[in-house]
Amino acid sequence: MAYNQLEKKDYLKTSLRAYFLQNGFNYGNYQGLGYANVMFPALRKLYKGDDDKLQEVLQENIEFFNTNLHFFPFITSLHLVMLENRTPSKEIRNIKMALMGPLAGIGDSLAQFCLAPLFATIGASLAQDGLIMGPILFFAAMNIILLAIKILTGMWGYKLGTNIIGTLSSKMEQISNIASMIGVTVISGLAVNFVKITTPIQYVAKMPGDQQKIVAVQEMMDAIAPKLLPVLYTGLIFYLIKKKKWTTYKLVILTVILGVILSLLHLIA
Amino acid sequence: MTISIVQCLLIGLWTAFCLSGMLFGIYTNRCLVMAAGVGLILGDLPTGLAMGAVGELAFMGFGVSQGGSVPPNPMGPGIVGTIIAITMKDSGIDVGSALALSFPFAVAFQFVITATYTFTTTLTSYAVKALNKKDFKGFRIAANATVCVFAVVGFIIGFGGAYSSEGLQKVISLIPSWLSSGLGVAGKMLPAIGFAMILNVMAKKELIPFVLIGYISIAYLNLPVMGVAVLGTAIALLVFFNAGKSGSRSIEEVEVEFEDGI
Repeated sequence: MAYNQLEKKDYLKTSLRAYFLQNGFNYGNYQGLGYANVMFPALRKLYKGDDDKLQEVLQENIEFFNTNLHFFPFITSLHLVMLENRTPSKEIRNIKMALMGPLAGIGDSLAQFCLAPLFATIGASLAQDGLIMGPILFFAAMNIILLAIKILTGMWGYKLGTNIIGTLSSKMEQISNIASMIGVTVISGLAVNFVKITTPIQYVAKMPGDQQKIVAVQEMMDAIAPKLLPVLYTGLIFYLIKKKKWTTYKLVILTVILGVILSLLHLIA
Repeated sequence: MTISIVQCLLIGLWTAFCLSGMLFGIYTNRCLVMAAGVGLILGDLPTGLAMGAVGELAFMGFGVSQGGSVPPNPMGPGIVGTIIAITMKDSGIDVGSALALSFPFAVAFQFVITATYTFTTTLTSYAVKALNKKDFKGFRIAANATVCVFAVVGFIIGFGGAYSSEGLQKVISLIPSWLSSGLGVAGKMLPAIGFAMILNVMAKKELIPFVLIGYISIAYLNLPVMGVAVLGTAIALLVFFNAGKSGSRSIEEVEVEFEDGI
């Protein structure tokens, strides 16, 4: 039986349906239900009038799946190309499962660990100044970039077939490297601005000629290195995460206890 | 300050939208976005923005926590924390204290999310059964059910949080002032966790210069944040172009040459 042809717009539509990948998310098969659901309109068109085949392909594709949803259109586009070329389903499954991990890695490190923190810190700093642009910029920047990634990866998969993943990941690595350099600069800068710890400790110093002078420890520290306490505290937390493998819960509890006790003792403010 | 029933409903709808956005991957389930919306609805945008800023930074790290640990949900500070900060502004609760106070809610909400994912596991068998019967409509309902449950859960949390804000205020006003000011101090320290988590994921040894550049440009030069981003971009591009020129020379080789020079 001859299948219908898919057009470019079907690929585009399927790429945009990546937004629905997690609509059926559950701990049983993660994005498995979503996978079949994203492909559904294209599959229905491909196998129009052949409900048995549609049923079979859907049944094959509700198994466990979990990847980054912004790079996901690459997989669905390849999948559709292969279905149109009548690639055996076992082969499709291998490629699908082989791409799942790497794309999750690339996607998460770019979206979650680079773009989101970068725009979140910039947005938060604008919001701190009372500018509504802060949240708007964060939301708009994230969504425009991620939409572009969805369309681009979807179209790449459509045009270039199966041998593209190598070039894609080396290009993504470069982009992600540049993004981490910018991200690390902004984030470490803002860390010292947003973590606010100062000390009200003062002491009286005897000056020559029986004069007395009140010395504020904070001023002394600012002269040596501004924002020293926030840097030290962030460094301590970093150390606890990296070397001692502390969980976030422990860190939050530690911070709250330290904050309350040290402020009660008037050591920090 | 009291919250009208219309405002409760709006906060409920806003929370439903933001929480569902977590599944769509559109970054609405972030403290920065949620708090600004609550601020707008309650007519106190400045407090909403300030709360969004501190909450976002404190919770930023949870987005990157790895392994099986369940991260606390930003609805805590973004919705409940913002409601506390706005309604109790006059009774000495600042955004720092509101952040610390909203933390238990963030943990509780995450348990609700985990429970939802566990509960929706039954969808798979429902979908399989539907497909076996060629009931494609039933399959599609199952495949979109989690997001619907999320919207309902979000609405309940948002509406409930706003509706019970008076009770919440009474409980919070029982907190002695030394504790609430201490919580305020702690709240201002919490962003350190978010930053450290992010740096833990992003920062490699080679990126230490960028950490220092960031510190210098803010602490010494007081550059605005966009300036820091542009400066970082400039240096990242310099590194990128020079890396292309020197070919395959790796960092180790350069270091060895340097030592030989001495």
